[in-house]
Amino acid sequence: MKLEIIIAGFGGQGVLSMGKILAYAGLMEDKEVTWMPAYGPEQRGGTANVTVIVSDDKISSPILSSYDVAIVLNQPSLEKFESKVKPGGIIIYDSNGIVEPPTRKDVEIYRIDAMEAANEMNNTKAFNMIVLGGLLKLRPVVTIESVMKGLKKSLPERHHHLLPMNEQAIMKGMEIIKKA
Amino acid sequence: MAKEVVLMKGNEAIARAAVLCGADAYFGYPITPQSEVLETLAELKPWETTGMVVLQAESEVSAINMVYGGAATGKMVMTSSSSPGVSLKQEGVSYIAGAELPCLIVNVMRGGPGLGTIQPSQADYFQTTKGGGHGDYRLIALAPASVQEMADFVQLGFDLAFKYRNPAIILADGVIGQMMEKVVLPDQKPRLTEEEVIARCPWAANGKRKGAANNIITSLELDPAKMEVRNIHLQEKYKEIEKNEVRYEEIMCDDAEYLIVAFGSCARIGQKALELAREQGIKVGLLRPITLWPFPTAPIAKYADKVKGMLSLELNAGQMIEDIKLAVNGKVKVEHFGRLGGIVPDPDEVVTALKEKLIK
Repeated sequence: MKLEIIIAGFGGQGVLSMGKILAYAGLMEDKEVTWMPAYGPEQRGGTANVTVIVSDDKISSPILSSYDVAIVLNQPSLEKFESKVKPGGIIIYDSNGIVEPPTRKDVEIYRIDAMEAANEMNNTKAFNMIVLGGLLKLRPVVTIESVMKGLKKSLPERHHHLLPMNEQAIMKGMEIIKKA
Repeated sequence: MAKEVVLMKGNEAIARAAVLCGADAYFGYPITPQSEVLETLAELKPWETTGMVVLQAESEVSAINMVYGGAATGKMVMTSSSSPGVSLKQEGVSYIAGAELPCLIVNVMRGGPGLGTIQPSQADYFQTTKGGGHGDYRLIALAPASVQEMADFVQLGFDLAFKYRNPAIILADGVIGQMMEKVVLPDQKPRLTEEEVIARCPWAANGKRKGAANNIITSLELDPAKMEVRNIHLQEKYKEIEKNEVRYEEIMCDDAEYLIVAFGSCARIGQKALELAREQGIKVGLLRPITLWPFPTAPIAKYADKVKGMLSLELNAGQMIEDIKLAVNGKVKVEHFGRLGGIVPDPDEVVTALKEKLIK
C-alpha cells in the first residue's frame, strides 16, 4: 500500500503541519514516509505545499509527477495541481478557499467545509485537523490512534492539553466530508 | 534493543550526528536552505553535554578560518553553508587543503550563480570536485541521497578526513536538507581527550611538549623546490584516496540497456524514473556516485560496452557529465538532462528526456 499526497494552500493554513502529522502517524505504524515541502520565502498569505508519501515499501523519489490525492485549500493550488491527480484519484477542496471547484470527470471530487466547521468549533486552528479527518475517512492510510500517538510524540508537553480538541477536529472532518 | 527510528529533516540529521559522533566544534553562519543545521545545534546546546563548541561567526569567511584554526589543533571541527556561503569559504578551504588538515564542510546547495535562489540545485559540482579555491588540491566529496545518509556521512566524512589529513565535504542540496525521512541516529560517542587527540594527531599544533619539535601548520613554502615536493606528496595522497575510497550504488544495472547516472536528490528522482520506464518496458539502470571525488570512473566505464546510452541527470547545466564522458572515453553516447536555477524536474520529465535524448 502506498499513498502519494500533495497538500497545498496558503501559508498559515497549517498545510506543512498537516503533512507532518500524517508523516508522524506513518512513522508510528512503522511505514516508510517522506515529507517534502516546497520551501521558499513564502509566509502567511503566500502559497505553500508539501508532498507526503506513506508507503509499506521503500520510497524512491520524494518528488512526484502525479498524486493519488490532492488536498487543495485555495484557488491557485487547485489550478496548479488539478491536472496532476492520477485518474481515479481524489481531489479534496475546502469551499471557503475555492471559488471555482474542480471540473475533472476522471477523479473523485470531495468538498469539505472545514473553515466553517472550525469557526463553529470556535477554533480556526483546528482547520487543518478537520481536513486531515476528511482525508482519513476516504483513504485510511493511517489510523486515528497513530495520528494521536504521532501528535503526542511530536508536540511539546505544554501543548498536550490540546490533544482531545485535535481528535474532535479529526472526527468532525470525517463527518462533514462529502462528495461534491 | 532495536534503535529508535525518528523523523527529521536532513539538516537536522547533520546537526544531531555531529554532536553524537563527538565533534569538538561547529562554526557557521545561517543561510537558506541549511539554516536548520545551526538552529538545531543551538537547540541541542551540546556545550552543556559533550562540551562541543557551537559558534555563529560574523561571516562565512570567519567561520572557515575558525575551522582552519581548530583543525590545526587536531580537533574534530566542521562548518556548513549553502552555495554563496561556500563560495566565500573557498580561500580558507584551499589553505586547509594546503596545510593538510582534516575537517568537515557541508554544502546544502541552492541555485546560482551569484546570490541566485534558495531552491535546490547541484550546480556546485565543479566547485566541489574540480577545486573551488586555488591550487592543485582535492576534497573528499560525499553526496548523500537520503536523510539517513546525511546522518551517516558526518561520521564517515570525519573518518576519511582524519585518515588522509584532508578536508571532506558533504555535498547535499535543498531537497535532501529540507525533506523529512526516517533516520536511525548513531550512539553518542565521547569527544576525544587531549591525550587521545595528541595520539591521533602527532602533527597537531596543540602546545609545545617537552623535548618535542615544533609542529608548524602552514600552507606557505617560498622555496619552489620544496613546494614542488609538497605538491607531489599531495598528489600521491590523492592517488591513494582514488584507489581506496570510491563509493557508489548500482540499482537494477544488470540487465540495463540505458543507464542513468545521478547523485543526491537526482538519484532519488532518477530511481522513480527508472521504475516508470521499466513499467513501459524500457530497461533502465541507475548508477549513483556516492563519492563525487574520488569519482566512480571504473564502475561507470564498465557499462560503456553494455548499455546503449547514458543519461547524466543533474540539477545543473551539465557538470558531472564531463566526468562520465571521460570515464567512457567516447565508447557510448552520453547525454545530459537537468533543470536550472532551483527548478527540480519530476520523474515523468526524466523519462521523457531519456526517450528523446537516447531512444528517440
